[in-house]
Amino acid sequence: MANVVMGYKQSTFPAKLAVISGIGLLIFIIFPFVMGEFQVSLMSKLLLFGALAISLDLVWGFTGILSFAHGIFFTLGGYASAYYLKLNLSAEGNTYGGELPDFMVWNGLETMPWFIAPLKYFPVAFIAMIAVPALFAYVVGYFIFRSKVSGVYITIITLALSSALTTFFISQQAYTGGTNGITDVSKLSFFGTAIPPIGLYFLILAYTAFVLALGWWLTQSNFGLILRSINENENRIAFLGYDVAQFKIFIWALSAGLAGVAGGLFVPLNRFISPVYLAVAFGTQVVIWVAIGGRGTLIGPLLAALILGQVQNYAEKVTQDWQLMIGVLLLIVVLFVPNGLMSLLPKQFNLSNLSKPKPIMPANTVQDSP
Amino acid sequence: MEAVLSVKDLNVVFSGFKALTGVSLDVYDGEIVTIIGPNGAGKSTLLDAIVSKSPVFSGHIYYHGKEITNKSPHEVARMGIGRKFQNPNVYNELTVFDNILLSLKGTHGILSSITSKLTRAKKGKIYDVLERTGLLEQAFEQVSSLSHGQKQWVEISMVLAQDPSIVLLDEPTAGMTTDETYMTGEIIKSIAKSHSVVVIEHDMEFVKQIAERIVVLHQGQVLAEGSVQEVQSNPKVIEVYLGRETINAAA
Repeated sequence: MANVVMGYKQSTFPAKLAVISGIGLLIFIIFPFVMGEFQVSLMSKLLLFGALAISLDLVWGFTGILSFAHGIFFTLGGYASAYYLKLNLSAEGNTYGGELPDFMVWNGLETMPWFIAPLKYFPVAFIAMIAVPALFAYVVGYFIFRSKVSGVYITIITLALSSALTTFFISQQAYTGGTNGITDVSKLSFFGTAIPPIGLYFLILAYTAFVLALGWWLTQSNFGLILRSINENENRIAFLGYDVAQFKIFIWALSAGLAGVAGGLFVPLNRFISPVYLAVAFGTQVVIWVAIGGRGTLIGPLLAALILGQVQNYAEKVTQDWQLMIGVLLLIVVLFVPNGLMSLLPKQFNLSNLSKPKPIMPANTVQDSP
Repeated sequence: MEAVLSVKDLNVVFSGFKALTGVSLDVYDGEIVTIIGPNGAGKSTLLDAIVSKSPVFSGHIYYHGKEITNKSPHEVARMGIGRKFQNPNVYNELTVFDNILLSLKGTHGILSSITSKLTRAKKGKIYDVLERTGLLEQAFEQVSSLSHGQKQWVEISMVLAQDPSIVLLDEPTAGMTTDETYMTGEIIKSIAKSHSVVVIEHDMEFVKQIAERIVVLHQGQVLAEGSVQEVQSNPKVIEVYLGRETINAAA
């Protein structure tokens, strides 16, 4: 019988997925030419939040590690980028006309701290944007996952980290700009020419598309299967020969690096970074995007970040209490659609179903699975 | 002949409670060892200690002569020891196929798991295993939709896919119908042609079907060892299964 059953179709190219993502990408490419400057800037921001949400989906949705710390990784990348842009302000752009950024002058620093100075150079800043959050995540992850802390305790640790780092950044005013963070940064430029908003939009769109594609590529492989198995029962998989902690540390650090670059791109757009994005409130927002969009769907968290951001934009014009609406929506989703809004779509549109090759079995043994 | 698995003077202690005391056991190539004993005798604990699920207090476990005592579970598994747990410990959210794919030997690293392809050889191996356990027709069904007995077979298939040289089965027939139990016995016998097998079992009919050598555990110690007849006529064993003429009623 085994010679009859050939299993998965030989062609594994997900045609439907390619068409749908092609159309999606096209809409986002046309978007800035149709919409005004405000919408372009808003959409740029929301796409970055979407990339951040996808990075959390990899650790929470797929691997089952609920983290409120993704704001930290985003912000660490953001500071790397903010130092770069701040240190590249022209002398006229700087309030005090010198090399030293304004907030350092106010706080009585006379020379540039050695650990900030190299961030003046783009390659260093770019590497720091990825490496600082990823290394921080690696160190934290190493202790959490090797010592077999799991479930809700990890979540509590991420909450504590978020609070601790917020306090730390506020207290180190001379180096971090304190509560205000780093403001009045220079524009991101490319060989001396400032990148216009539409250029930034396309840079961000490309990055978000990259994160989505990377997430898809990773999760449809055996690696994704292992992540989902860790999520369902991490004890069993160790007895199949997998070093569970190694996988968790890897996806955790990778996710932090992805979040860091999103934060790094956020600063040239937002023109400042502050400890607000380290705080639990922002970390919670990321969790809400993933929860509402649908855990383990990648596209769901992205869409949730985009849609909720737009809702917030319009709701803010009417009422200050838009967060209440998000709260009610979250409650409805958790109670009635626990797998997120993506689960309401017909199964054919589910990203994982689109990409999964359909099994073929001989008709006489098994009917086609739906 | 060198034993595939050798347990020497093993002691396992749970916060003061001696779960295993001085247990020694040798398992040779291609044999089926059946472990029986009343509840709480330490049967599952013995398997737990072998696969490093429970920490060993003192004593040694050797696999092909190499010490494996208190190694990490994944290291023990990679060396070639497969374990089936008492309740079917399978991935309900995945298909049968994916459960087996996950269990295949090899691709246990991060990079190799990202880049690994579903080759013809792998598919062949998966279908081979599923054919042996009679699950070929259910290959693409989600495990959650299977019956309890079938889930037990899924887990046996997972263990086989690991290509271990020794298979540890904890009550493989729990919750099975008579027919299913019989079929499981036949599966185990076929497994034993190419692997050493250690089975924990309660059902004496089943034990008789498969057993070559029986080890009786009682209160964390080895009480008796031998063939079905030897064990059944051993006065100590009869005494343990208090008031019962034979251990037929042990289940």
